Amino acid sequence: MPDLESLEQVEGSKQNHDLVLFALSTCGWCKKARAFLGDHDIAYRFVYVDLLEGDELDEVFSEVKLLNPQRTFPTLVIDDEDVVIGFNDSTYTEKLL
Amino acid sequence: MTAEVAPGEVEKLFGRLVQEAEAGAYHVNPDMSNTMPLIEGLITNTRRYGYRLCPCRLTGGSRQADLDIVCPCDYRDADLDEYDTCF
Repeated sequence: MPDLESLEQVEGSKQNHDLVLFALSTCGWCKKARAFLGDHDIAYRFVYVDLLEGDELDEVFSEVKLLNPQRTFPTLVIDDEDVVIGFNDSTYTEKLL
Repeated sequence: MTAEVAPGEVEKLFGRLVQEAEAGAYHVNPDMSNTMPLIEGLITNTRRYGYRLCPCRLTGGSRQADLDIVCPCDYRDADLDEYDTCF
């Protein structure tokens, strides 16, 4: 994944994986995904794609289209290789805990 | 930044969505922890774009490009089949 400048770091004591969460500020499932990561004190980087503009939006949008052609959110990228689309508590638990 | 969504607006849209859903033999998700954020997202997107863009899908830049993802979107039935709720 390219080094996207718009990603914001969220600190956490669990740093077992490199996590990047592409989210929308309007999306309830994205809120649940962020709550899961926060509740389990997991470090991750994220961006609200719908709040970006111009070149930043183009850059991130291109990346999301490659990872998830349907462009649904949240899209979680684990260690630059595993892509989890949508939020499901048991899937996140299995992959991250 | 979009203005905060007022409780009255949420209730009004909730009522309308219940009516629309039941008329089509669908049901609004009774789990309010899912439904309320969805409604707030729909209100925010209606203000932002002028139509009920799905809060969990990214705009293609125009109403024409977004026709398939205006709520209720083209993917509703597939989502219901797979997840029992829309995604």
